[in-house]
Amino acid sequence: MANPLKLPGKIFEGIGRRTVAGLDEMGYAAAIFFEAIYWTLTGWRYRQPVRITSAFASMMQFGVTALPIATLLAATIGLMLAIQSLYSLGLFGAEQYAYIGIALSVVREFSPMIMGILIAGRSGSAIAARLATMSINQEVDALQVMGINPVRFLVSPVLIALVLMMPCLAMWANLVSILAAGLYVSAQLHQSFGAYLNDTIDVLKTGDVWHGLGKATLFGVIIALVGVVNGSMVQGGAEGVGKVTTRSVVISITLIVVADMIFAYMTTK
Amino acid sequence: MTNDALTAEAVNQANRPSAEELATRRKVIEVDSLDWSFGTRQVLFDINLDVREGEIMVIMGGSGSGKTTLLRHLVGLMPPLPGKIKLLGKDMGALSRMQLLELKRRIGVAFQFGALFSSMSVSENVKLPLRELTDLEERTMDIMANMKLEVCNLSGFGHLMPSDLSGGMMKRASIARAIVMDPKLIFLDEPSSGLDPVVSSALDDLILKLRDAMDISVVVVSHDVESAYKIADRITILDKGRILACDRVDAVRNSTNERVQNLLHRRSEQAEIDPTEYLRRLAGD
Repeated sequence: MANPLKLPGKIFEGIGRRTVAGLDEMGYAAAIFFEAIYWTLTGWRYRQPVRITSAFASMMQFGVTALPIATLLAATIGLMLAIQSLYSLGLFGAEQYAYIGIALSVVREFSPMIMGILIAGRSGSAIAARLATMSINQEVDALQVMGINPVRFLVSPVLIALVLMMPCLAMWANLVSILAAGLYVSAQLHQSFGAYLNDTIDVLKTGDVWHGLGKATLFGVIIALVGVVNGSMVQGGAEGVGKVTTRSVVISITLIVVADMIFAYMTTK
Repeated sequence: MTNDALTAEAVNQANRPSAEELATRRKVIEVDSLDWSFGTRQVLFDINLDVREGEIMVIMGGSGSGKTTLLRHLVGLMPPLPGKIKLLGKDMGALSRMQLLELKRRIGVAFQFGALFSSMSVSENVKLPLRELTDLEERTMDIMANMKLEVCNLSGFGHLMPSDLSGGMMKRASIARAIVMDPKLIFLDEPSSGLDPVVSSALDDLILKLRDAMDISVVVVSHDVESAYKIADRITILDKGRILACDRVDAVRNSTNERVQNLLHRRSEQAEIDPTEYLRRLAGD
């Protein structure tokens, strides 16, 4: 039977181990991030440039092919916000101001976060699974022994693609959500759709759009790094790939939500 | 051993450089006092080894003898510390990361399971080093890749995906990728593992052909004794992380060392059991 007096020590030991492992992982992610930037900027000097074609292929995979599902989600979020706004503001007889809440919450909050969660589930898992499978099959070792830097070859294109595509997707989600919400609101309030759009454009400032796009860019970096770090830390065979893929999605979404809160606090304080 | 294998071995034996001739050649690999531990478990003890220009060195040993760890050190996947490894005259421990990348362009490695990129065709796999490390035109890369595929008897299979290949074809494709940059030194990890004797023998012939045609040095990590006799100029035998023997094929074959003979003749080694110690272990004391 376990000695109950040793239990608190074991708990603290466990917390300590996890903290150190977490810090270690963060350090690793930071090192990969800076190395990816380094190779992106200076790879040509070592005759190892980051291939634009690889970055475009990743942009297609992570961004363009995600458009249908991104559109569906954005429209649904827009409609949901419109329904809730009309209901809650209706309690005070202020339905005509629904556009303010919808515009600001979509542009500043919902578009980047929903796109972040979507891409974390869709592409973050793919990045982790790909890296993990490559590690297990010694493909990463093969790159290293060929003299091809794996960070330059595998990470930089992914990072570039996500940093560029996440704001694009967020911008697209802004448009779709506002349009979908506008259609519902104008139909419910019997006002013209053009008037709704005019009101929305009036209430939105450039800073609001940049706020959302900045968040989306940050989420792109988070998704790329979490996917890469988890994928490269795989142990075991197929089971290991499954574990790191799941872990990558869970950590990405958690970090996106936490980063969203910190970003919102820092930029609105 | 089959008659064919005996003949091929005899032919290679006749072509083997003498010890004196080998000694005059430049060293392409020099390992000096290499130790390595995984945590508290030491797996390599004071490894000293050299490989000469144009030589085929086969590193043998049982499972867990440290041969794969040694290979990983030699190809730069593990740091050569403590100790020193010189590859093609360059001290790997003293090189910057960029210099190490440059050095790796001059070696080729074929992994045990091929390590071909599953998302690329065989031809794309072979062209990868050319595409990433040179400024050659696509047409030139195609020609070079096709040449290497032809050398490895894979002509006409370039369009296939790695998943469409047999075990032997996978290994040959991996070798084709390893030699596409015309390296001076190639490393082959267990080239004959998982292959039937006929395919394995064909792979041995390919290794000999490559050495003779391209004048390269070859380091083969293997546990296949027949293959080692056939292709090796020298054999290094590792046992529990230590070099047990490193000599020409005949000398290793006729070694009086019991452990060497056990390995070559696939005899299991039964440790003598101390009854008292055994009982104590069972009792958990």
